[in-house]
Amino acid sequence: MKLKMSLVGITITLLLVGCAKKELTPGVTDTEILIGNIQDLSGPMKELGYLLPAGANLYFQYINDQGGIYGRKIRMLVEDHQYNPQKAVAAAKKLIEKDQVFCLYQVIGTSTSEAIIPILEEYKIPLVAPATQSGTMSRPLRRYIFQTDTGYDKQMNVLIDYILRQDKNARIGLIYQDDNYGANALKGAAEAEARHKITLQKESYQRGASDFSGQVGNLMKGGATHVIIAGIVREPIIIMKTAAAMGYRPQFLGLSPTMDHRVAIAAGPAGEGYIAANFAPLWNSDAPGPVLYRKLHDKYADPKTLPLGMYSYYGFATATVLVEALKNAGKDLTRASFLQALNSLDYKGGSFPDFKWTRTNHGSSGKVVLVQVKNGKQVEISDWLD
Amino acid sequence: MKGRYEDEKLFWIPVLIAAVFLLPFLLKGMTNSYRYYLYVLNIAGIYMILTVGLDLLSGYTGLISLGHAAFFAIGAYLSAILVDQGGLPFELSLIIAPLLTGLFGLVIGFPALRLEGMYLGLATMGFGFIVKRMIIALRQWTQGSNGLQVSSPHIFGFTFRNDWDNYFLIYTGVVLTVVIARRMVRSKLGRAFMAIRDSERAAEAVGIRLAKYKMISFFISGVFAGFAGVLFAHTSHFISTDHFDILLSVYFIIMILVGGVGSIYGAVLGALFIVLLDNLAIPLFKDWLQTFITVEAGDIQSLIFGLIMFLFIIFQPTGLYGLWLKVRIYWKLFPFNPRKRFS
Amino acid sequence: MPDLLIDNLHIHFDGVIALDDVSLTVKSGEIFSLIGPNGSGKSTLFNCINGFNRPRKGAIRFGGINLLRKKTHEIPLLGIARTFQNLQNVPYMTVLDNVLLGAHLRISKRDTVKRWLSRKQRVAEEALALEIMDLLGIANFERKYLLGQPFGIRKLVEIARALVSRPKLILLDEPAAGMNDQETIEIAKIITEIRNELGITVLVVEHDMRLVMRISDRICVLDSGKVITIGKPDEVKQHPEVVKVFLGEGTDA
Repeated sequence: MKLKMSLVGITITLLLVGCAKKELTPGVTDTEILIGNIQDLSGPMKELGYLLPAGANLYFQYINDQGGIYGRKIRMLVEDHQYNPQKAVAAAKKLIEKDQVFCLYQVIGTSTSEAIIPILEEYKIPLVAPATQSGTMSRPLRRYIFQTDTGYDKQMNVLIDYILRQDKNARIGLIYQDDNYGANALKGAAEAEARHKITLQKESYQRGASDFSGQVGNLMKGGATHVIIAGIVREPIIIMKTAAAMGYRPQFLGLSPTMDHRVAIAAGPAGEGYIAANFAPLWNSDAPGPVLYRKLHDKYADPKTLPLGMYSYYGFATATVLVEALKNAGKDLTRASFLQALNSLDYKGGSFPDFKWTRTNHGSSGKVVLVQVKNGKQVEISDWLD
Repeated sequence: MKGRYEDEKLFWIPVLIAAVFLLPFLLKGMTNSYRYYLYVLNIAGIYMILTVGLDLLSGYTGLISLGHAAFFAIGAYLSAILVDQGGLPFELSLIIAPLLTGLFGLVIGFPALRLEGMYLGLATMGFGFIVKRMIIALRQWTQGSNGLQVSSPHIFGFTFRNDWDNYFLIYTGVVLTVVIARRMVRSKLGRAFMAIRDSERAAEAVGIRLAKYKMISFFISGVFAGFAGVLFAHTSHFISTDHFDILLSVYFIIMILVGGVGSIYGAVLGALFIVLLDNLAIPLFKDWLQTFITVEAGDIQSLIFGLIMFLFIIFQPTGLYGLWLKVRIYWKLFPFNPRKRFS
Repeated sequence: MPDLLIDNLHIHFDGVIALDDVSLTVKSGEIFSLIGPNGSGKSTLFNCINGFNRPRKGAIRFGGINLLRKKTHEIPLLGIARTFQNLQNVPYMTVLDNVLLGAHLRISKRDTVKRWLSRKQRVAEEALALEIMDLLGIANFERKYLLGQPFGIRKLVEIARALVSRPKLILLDEPAAGMNDQETIEIAKIITEIRNELGITVLVVEHDMRLVMRISDRICVLDSGKVITIGKPDEVKQHPEVVKVFLGEGTDA
């Protein structure tokens, strides 16, 4: 009974203290906005863990040099989750409770982002542009997550539509990673199968696998003329080399995580002609986003430590979205005003295809541009498709 | 009748328990970000429950397990499915899911009867991989690799909504676990476990059925791991296969090694030590180190964990708990030199 | 109390014959010693009785039951306890717990569960061991961890562990090995007490001839797995082959 009383007492005190502090928004002062970013700095994706925030900081520095947003400069804290959902939760709690960040931004990974959803809801904090293209981030609607990237399921649909436009009689094979990434790709594949009344030949592999001769052999036997790879960076390289060694030459295509210049380099001649889906303009294209990115890179970055490339461009591009929403939230920046700004963001910044967020849609434009390897270099070969 | 153990001073136990439950109030008074520290303590508490169970198996019975993350996962998923999909009340799931996990313990315990040391370690590790695959394969219930949203703990009308509430739930579990485990190891059961560990011949010669007691040990260890899993699933609200990595099993082993193999308090201390080190000390150390070179917490974490384990095995094989006993005896006997008391 | 009947026991390991048609009877209430040089099969015989080794031929009967048909852990149920030559105990357990280990079969499941809740039951359980420990004079060590205790104490703990199961027959494997003269005398006293006061039949393997001659009712001499002779200490001492085999060990007896 006494415990209960003291619990009640303490809760009341806390509430009073909470009310008294209400005018102060965590992470926002007259001169600064503090945002939290959770990356994989020492796990399997640690390369990205450096490149994404570095790209974002190019834009933040550009904005800060112009005087910031209503006089507030942006400062970003980066925590490490090692691609472990439990650590992602710990990092999110630390950023929110200890460092008192204003919002979360660019948490990388699907299961890691999903693990912190309960925290976002508990603290009513938005997560802007999670670094994952899983469609599950915005469909069904997550109240506090705002996704800039086109989902794997949508990408799958676009790729299959594209293949069938090129070749009505194409037999399509799919190699997917048997995890949540692959599951989202399969969802898109099932939608396309139903629309076109076709059946894909599906082969799966476990994360970390390095031998694909079985899967490639099966697709060869099945006579697939087009093979879509739902892998990351390593898999298309190995798959295309394996196929070449077997004398099997279908058209290979891949989802956005395979849209990496290293695929073109490492796969060599076997990778020539490889087509990957991309949810943002290619970093070396002439779209306004990439042009500004290269200009800022020239101005602020040391090319030795931060080379130009798709990942730092991705970080930059999402930063433009975040900044735009922060600007729209106005001078009186609170979490409520920020959420309102996010819920009505009409993005036309050029770093992503134009999109609109509303109260009921926190997803991307749903558009994809195709990027092909030609003479060992990536070039865009299509308009925005959806 | 004389007490059997020097530490059977029951006075301290209620004091300790009271301290555990007063700690959150203290933290709240001390810092604004107390909820973060409570979260870290909650994770430590869940791991304590698991490591106490692991210690019964590996420390007391001498059967190494590199698959405890799998039991942890089974308990978590079972409860999530039973409660959220099967409509079982959480109060019941708190009992049923651990018992079912214990049955999985029996399944893996069976081959263990023929395996020892390293081979048993590998077999249990294999079990970990199988469980992970099973979770992905049973999509219908587990959502495969998408991960599963889990409801909050709900006991007799009270819902545990945040880290503050969860702390009291979890540490009630820890206290229960420690009391039950202490009772167990001091009974016939614990003596049988230790006899199996140190001399299977002596065990058989006094009438202990090795197979039976090894299975019991696996079962009990599974129950504790399952219990920890249930608490984990419902307090973190989201579970996925990524949570239950093979490395986690290794960390559990490090926790009992550091705490002191074959001691219940040791397992508790070990879990606390490693979790605090991982979440609070290593980031500070990293920040300091980063003034000289670019490193990330994860890079030095494995290094520090490895180093700590190495140092403990070489210099302090009885772990933190053994160290505490030594210190206590030292002060009791001061100024007489109490060397060799525990050598 | 039943006699222990050993009938034509034969066992060999990898072609080496360890026991060759050994037959002997240990009568109830007797102190019976097995002697013989190293490798003569004394410990093997012990291991056959409590089920560690499985002989090819022969039978061991105790109270009409053939022990060879029983599993190792079932032997103590019949009232046979043993000690080991190289100590088999649990260093990180207290002396008292090491002794209580022997009471494994005397403590029921119900008592174990009760014990978790009731202090009285715990005290009752401890009393089982303290009774025996008093007899052996190690009751003062009850709370100490076995690790770090002197060899003599650990030896006694081993005997206490066997006794606490209230056996009908106790097998002592070299109880005096590694003990000094003073301790050996103590052991001799204990062995006679086990028989005289507790009424337990004692089968003992021992190297110390003085001890054997002093305490034994009858002695069996084994050499290379064969029984050379069985008889009263005086008769055995006179036996010509025994003298031959034990030249060296026998002379200082």
